[in-house]
Amino acid sequence: MESIIFFILAFFLLSGAIMIVFSKESLYSAIGFLMVMIAMAGMFALLHHSFLFLAQILVGVGAVVVLSIMIILSINLKEENQPKQNITRKNILFTTLIIAPIAGLLLYAIAKAPFAFAPIAQHFGTIETMGKVLFTHWVLPFEIVSILLLGAMVGAIVLSRRRLHVES
Amino acid sequence: MLSPDKFLFVAVMMFAIGLIGLMLRRNLFVVYLSIELMLSSVNLILATFSRMHGEMDGGVVSLLMIAVIAAEAAIFLALIIYIYRITKSVDSQSITQLTHKRDEA
Repeated sequence: MESIIFFILAFFLLSGAIMIVFSKESLYSAIGFLMVMIAMAGMFALLHHSFLFLAQILVGVGAVVVLSIMIILSINLKEENQPKQNITRKNILFTTLIIAPIAGLLLYAIAKAPFAFAPIAQHFGTIETMGKVLFTHWVLPFEIVSILLLGAMVGAIVLSRRRLHVES
Repeated sequence: MLSPDKFLFVAVMMFAIGLIGLMLRRNLFVVYLSIELMLSSVNLILATFSRMHGEMDGGVVSLLMIAVIAAEAAIFLALIIYIYRITKSVDSQSITQLTHKRDEA
């Protein structure tokens, strides 16, 4: 049963990823990204990370994807402002030739290594265990990430503010 | 029965597709979404190894990564709007403010 759910999720994940890269309209790419994020949340649920599942749905789908779609819709790209690029078969072949050895090596290493899941602990992945680990071993990274978020917020406001003296 | 290999396989495929998109496309939105795809695949790998060893540390790093992804999204989208306001396009080839202009030299 778990395997069937996994294969459905993997299908959605990879087809969403292909949709991101190869669709002509930016909005279709964003829809593919939505599929990827939801399937990622499903993967977290399959891995018994219930809190990560929740955070992925809230932040990944609820904030990041919605923000991307809103920006794409608000910019309102005209046809003549789109990059004039037709993806030829030669381009795809050449790029795949560059990427394939890296991916092949990684896949070979994964297939060779003797991986197996440990038997699951009773409270694995719940908010309680997650919070205990986060606020004992990972306090400093947590604080650094909060400063990073503050900096990103200020940077986004400064960058997207309308300026009076923009050279045209 | 699920094994970590399957999750890692999917994550590697995701990373490869993201890298292909990064090299293939010139639309800034697609470049942004490809980078997000690669970040998410690393997130999946972290969660898989956390489950494999039965310890929560990988999951906590994955949670922090989700926050980093949100910060990156905010900055990148603000940057896209800024570039669009100046050059009126989302082509990555149109960002030429710092290049040396040959015909003027």
